[in-house]
Amino acid sequence: MASDDKKTLGPTKSNESAPGGLRSAFSRKVLVDSVVRLSPKSLLKNPVMFIVEIMFFIVAAMAIVPQAFVPVASPSLQVFYVEVAAILLITVWFSTLSDALAEQQAKSTAGALRKLETEVSSKKIVTEDWTRKIVNVKSTQLRKDDLILIEKDDVVPLDADVLEGIAMVDESLVTGESAPVRKAPGDSLIGGSRVVSDTLTAKVTTNPGETFIDQMIKMVESSKRPKTPNEVAITIVLIGLTAIFTIIILALLGMSVTLGLGADLSVLIALYVCLLPTTIGALLPAIGLSGMSRLYKSKIIAKSGKAIETAGDADVVLLDKTGTITVGNRQAIQFVPFEGNAEEEVGEAAFLSSWNDDTPEGRSILSLAYEKGFVPKELNSLALSETYPFSASTRTSGVKITHMGLTLPKGDKSGRDRLRIRRKSSTVSEQGVASRIEPEIEIVKGAPEAIKKNVASVPPNYDLIVEGISAEGETPIAIARNREAIGIIRLKDVLKEGIKEKIQALKVMGIRPVMITGDQPLTAKSISSEVGIEEYAAQAKPEDKFNIAKREQAESRIVAMIGDGTNDAPALSVADVGLAMNSGTEAAKEAANMVDLESNPAKIIEVVMLGKQLLMTRGAVTAFSIANDVAKYFAIMPVLFAAAIPELQALNVLQLGLKSAVLSALIFNAIIIPLLIPLAMRGIAFKPTSTMTLFLKNTLIYGVGGVIVPFVGIKLIDLLLVGVFHI
Amino acid sequence: MIDAIQAISVVLILGITILIARLIAPYLVRVYNRSPSRLDKVLNPVEKFIYKICSIDPEHPMGWKQYFLAGLLLNVAQMVIAFLILVLQDKLPLNPLGFPGLSWDLAFHTVTSFATNTNLQHYNGEATLSIFSQMTAIQFLQWTSAATGICMGIAFIRGFIVGSKNLGNFHVDFVRTITRILLPLCLIASVVFVVMGVPQTLNASTTVTTLQGTTQSILVGPVASLDSIMQLGTNGGGFYGANAAYPFMNPSPYSNIFMISLMLLLPTALIFVFGELLGKKREARPLLWGAYILFGIALVIAFIPNIPLVASGIETRFGGFMSNFYTVTTTAATTGSVNSALSSMHPLAITSGFLGMFIQSIPGGKGIGLMYMVMYIIITVFIVGLMSGRTPEYLGIKITGRDVKLVMVAFLIHPIIILIPTVIAYASGAAAAIGVGGNSVGYTQILYEFTTSAANNGSDFLGASGNTTFFNIATGIVMLIGRYASIAILLALSGSMIVRKRGGTTGLKTDSPVFTIVLVASIIILVLLTFFPFLALGPISSFFRGLTNGF
Amino acid sequence: MTENKEKWNFKPIIGLTVISLLICGLFFPLLVTGIAQVFFPYQANGEIVQLNGKAVGSNLIAQNFTLPIFFHPRNDSASGVDPDITLQDAYSQIPRISNATGIPADSLTYIVNQNQEGTLWIFGSPYVNVLRINLALIKEYPSIYSGFSG
Repeated sequence: MASDDKKTLGPTKSNESAPGGLRSAFSRKVLVDSVVRLSPKSLLKNPVMFIVEIMFFIVAAMAIVPQAFVPVASPSLQVFYVEVAAILLITVWFSTLSDALAEQQAKSTAGALRKLETEVSSKKIVTEDWTRKIVNVKSTQLRKDDLILIEKDDVVPLDADVLEGIAMVDESLVTGESAPVRKAPGDSLIGGSRVVSDTLTAKVTTNPGETFIDQMIKMVESSKRPKTPNEVAITIVLIGLTAIFTIIILALLGMSVTLGLGADLSVLIALYVCLLPTTIGALLPAIGLSGMSRLYKSKIIAKSGKAIETAGDADVVLLDKTGTITVGNRQAIQFVPFEGNAEEEVGEAAFLSSWNDDTPEGRSILSLAYEKGFVPKELNSLALSETYPFSASTRTSGVKITHMGLTLPKGDKSGRDRLRIRRKSSTVSEQGVASRIEPEIEIVKGAPEAIKKNVASVPPNYDLIVEGISAEGETPIAIARNREAIGIIRLKDVLKEGIKEKIQALKVMGIRPVMITGDQPLTAKSISSEVGIEEYAAQAKPEDKFNIAKREQAESRIVAMIGDGTNDAPALSVADVGLAMNSGTEAAKEAANMVDLESNPAKIIEVVMLGKQLLMTRGAVTAFSIANDVAKYFAIMPVLFAAAIPELQALNVLQLGLKSAVLSALIFNAIIIPLLIPLAMRGIAFKPTSTMTLFLKNTLIYGVGGVIVPFVGIKLIDLLLVGVFHI
Repeated sequence: MIDAIQAISVVLILGITILIARLIAPYLVRVYNRSPSRLDKVLNPVEKFIYKICSIDPEHPMGWKQYFLAGLLLNVAQMVIAFLILVLQDKLPLNPLGFPGLSWDLAFHTVTSFATNTNLQHYNGEATLSIFSQMTAIQFLQWTSAATGICMGIAFIRGFIVGSKNLGNFHVDFVRTITRILLPLCLIASVVFVVMGVPQTLNASTTVTTLQGTTQSILVGPVASLDSIMQLGTNGGGFYGANAAYPFMNPSPYSNIFMISLMLLLPTALIFVFGELLGKKREARPLLWGAYILFGIALVIAFIPNIPLVASGIETRFGGFMSNFYTVTTTAATTGSVNSALSSMHPLAITSGFLGMFIQSIPGGKGIGLMYMVMYIIITVFIVGLMSGRTPEYLGIKITGRDVKLVMVAFLIHPIIILIPTVIAYASGAAAAIGVGGNSVGYTQILYEFTTSAANNGSDFLGASGNTTFFNIATGIVMLIGRYASIAILLALSGSMIVRKRGGTTGLKTDSPVFTIVLVASIIILVLLTFFPFLALGPISSFFRGLTNGF
Repeated sequence: MTENKEKWNFKPIIGLTVISLLICGLFFPLLVTGIAQVFFPYQANGEIVQLNGKAVGSNLIAQNFTLPIFFHPRNDSASGVDPDITLQDAYSQIPRISNATGIPADSLTYIVNQNQEGTLWIFGSPYVNVLRINLALIKEYPSIYSGFSG
């Protein structure tokens, strides 16, 4: 998780798609695969390349029996026909090679995914005759709602929810996070993770073969992967262009035959193939597939290619403050007593109320109190205490200590680590040192607004202190003992590294970030303005996310958001792009269309960038491909009717030789495919700027560049052909 | 090359035309929004009477299919009646020169030509048509095809309006176009033409004895009433075979400028109407500037060679410069009237003419030109817009596969119906039969014939020599497809926009100058990719052969 | 939309066909004819030029001048009836006319210049109308052109 924050914006740099990685991907398997794909049947799904192959067969036939093609062929040009046929075949092969490479990349992705869910043996809990029995079954035999027992060193067979027990689980294989994670009842287990301590009873939440990972594998492996709406539309453009060029070539052939213009069929075919959108036709499948692979490199699983594209269209991104804008753990930095209370009192109450609080905040309160030496004497009674866990409706948590036990000797600062404290306290309690008895202590801590309602009387400077803290962007937690407000815990939010730049990037691209937080308006305002967000929803409840998403959509905006809790599920399902945290609940993951295995909410921004990159790459290669045709006309048209209309030599701006013109244009047309494979697989580089700037920049590079580059390229190839090969 | 003064005069004429178009646009908007008007007192009872006797429910809304079919069926009925008038003109009144009825294929060609707003003429009007035919077949169809085209353009715009529920009612739009737009505009224009010297009489000829004592027949007729609708309706079909070169149609340099202005008026005004009806005036910018930049490029190409003051085929009162200007304008607005013989034009001027007819939207025919421009915008937005990193959208509507399919088909129709028939004309010997050869000159003529038909333009090289069964039927079919297939497809596109979600403004800014430039570039590339080889075989070859005219 | 189920009503089509024919094919041209004939009869009837009460031609339609004493129109032109010639063309004919009539070249040049048309500000280049200039000759030199003055 930590490594992620330092990632640069924009295209994800991945090792495999770097040039070195590409070379290593050139395995023998890929080569064989690319040749197998040359069969006309497997080319059928790529109409442009299919036509090129048919053209190859025609020219090959011309090379073998030129006399059969008179008057549109001449036996003296047999060698030339062989050359043209060879280049045509190579053109098709470059296309199948690009497919094979992308497929290979996808397969390695799928392979990595499949590792996550190798078949393992698992312990299914069966209740027979009122007795529980453990049956050893294969993970594939498990079904949703089955109960399983997972002991130390067992692999979690499928996604499941913990019912009983507490254990440490190693999720590194799935998420890359190396430290084991503590799992308690209610937590979700990820299939493929490993229990490293203790034993858990859990309920399976998915059927084998239906997990997100399965969906992802299916998507990257299936050759019938459904096309995204934009891919469909581009394919239609390509078919349309193919139809136009087919008509042009047929008309030229017809004119040449009826008017006796003497065009050679092979030259006409060369012009045809050069005009066909072969570049984008060859690379389109690879672009989509590698986009998916790149997403997985960021440890995000998308349920469909469409979701990635939609992310590129996002108008509004709902960002949870905690985890996205600030690091999850707010740090307690100060105990502020109200008048008549001592700092120590507040610290001790905070200590007690946070003892069972597992949140990072709770831990930071404990360590602050411990550091300051505010260790309460009631500590040893905590074992008998009654804990009120945090409730979203009251927005408070607390503890009630009814029977007073032993106290911890003061001044023991030997351990700041909570685990060690716990160990210490248990040993201390055995020493049995009695202390003063207080009948009952009830400590409640929570949002100042909520605590205000909970206390008998509100101290006069209550609001002043609360607002003062909030206004500084820090979070006040009020603490009350026996319905008496005694003080405030000051929690400081720590901004995520680089978040300001990421927010700025979103804004520059015309995407509106909205911060969602449970904090008070003042705190929310302070933090949002610190990172540059204008819009925020403070004191938000989970259903607010849903409402905001709905509201934005009613104004026809595309909404992207993240979520983890079950409460987020409705919002995730309405959002156009919903990114669920893998650490979240099953319901959330089901409702979302993407899941982040690393559970890093800040990655929603990366997803948006990747979506944009995917769309831009497709557009750039399409525009480049079409713009290339201009130069090809200038190369081949003068040659086509050279005998009958010598005046057209005036169009021969590149000063190409007769045969060399055709060969150079064809070679350029072929060679541009492998040259652009890295671009297709890596995506085009871009810096986040406004839509119009991106548009202008890419249009200049790939549109205008697409017109100029082939003029240069064709001339260079011509010089090579004439100079070196004397064609 | 032209001199500075000529360049200024071009800018002035176009500038004033655009200005007048801008001024009348709000009125057109009110007509189609059925807003109250000062003309209501007179016209409301008339229109109500028409609705009543035709049992038209003016409030009945139409989807794109209904709207299109209503227009198509009305046009077919009008073609049938005009066909009968032409074939039976010898049995009808007002035939002072006693012309016989037309052959069935010439009559078919003529009614198709006029109903599709093409006005390709395989006859010389003054020697073929009675006064009655000129009025009730020719002028009648010029009016109705103009009205139909405008209505289709308006319906097309309506689909893109936020919150629109239908495309309107064709019958009402048609009636109101005639009563509230064409009648007043044509009346003004006709009177201006009369003042400038265009005859308007029911006589067919006046016989005089010339100074040298010979007898001369001065062929007159209801010419001014035709002049107005021929130009305003971007029709282009002349009363005389020589079209607007004939002094009675276009008597002076002033009437010539008036004509240039008139043919650009409604296509340009409708671009503004597009912006106003949408409620986004800025969105008219790419249509307007895209059209006029491309028109400007076409003019520059035509003005590159040396333009003779007067040459064979060029009328003295216009001169070479104004004839070139007119020729490029008539193809840019797909009007098709000509004030000089095309054969006297330089190959580059002919190339410009081809560009106007290939693109069809610089600014193109009234209503139709803007439909084509939106088609180009959608193609451009899609192909180039992806590079902005968002799903391409136009007017906030995301472009779907279906949209792309429709615009690609609409774009494809044009090359198909131009290139295939051109090959057939040669392969079947039909070209040779009328003495047109296979060299660059002959090829230009045949290519032009089908391009002018497909673009519903109407200017041509063949004239009455094209009156053969092959050319009458072939160009007739091309005109029908070029008109109705394209309209149907683009209306289907617009009709599907009604139910679509509209997003915010974060996408590509289509109203920005940058987009207009990209649009212009992509139109040039698309059109050149499609037609370049054929231009190369025709006028471009002629150019490189050193020809300066003589097609 | 109920368009699929809706039966086509042909009344509007037939009705509008007839009405548009009446309005566009008859009413409008007749209306313009009426206005033109009442207010601008000269233009509306073809700008017929009279000489001594006799119609001798139209200003806008070239007529065939072959005698050397007249300015001649062009014999090629797009319409075939181009009534005008350029100034240069007119000047080039002056020696012939001067020879045939004895009218001094200077006077002819003066008449040509007096009759030039088509010079509206920056639009167009000047030309002369052949019929008009020949009539001017007849009016200016009635004795020389006595046979043509009616």
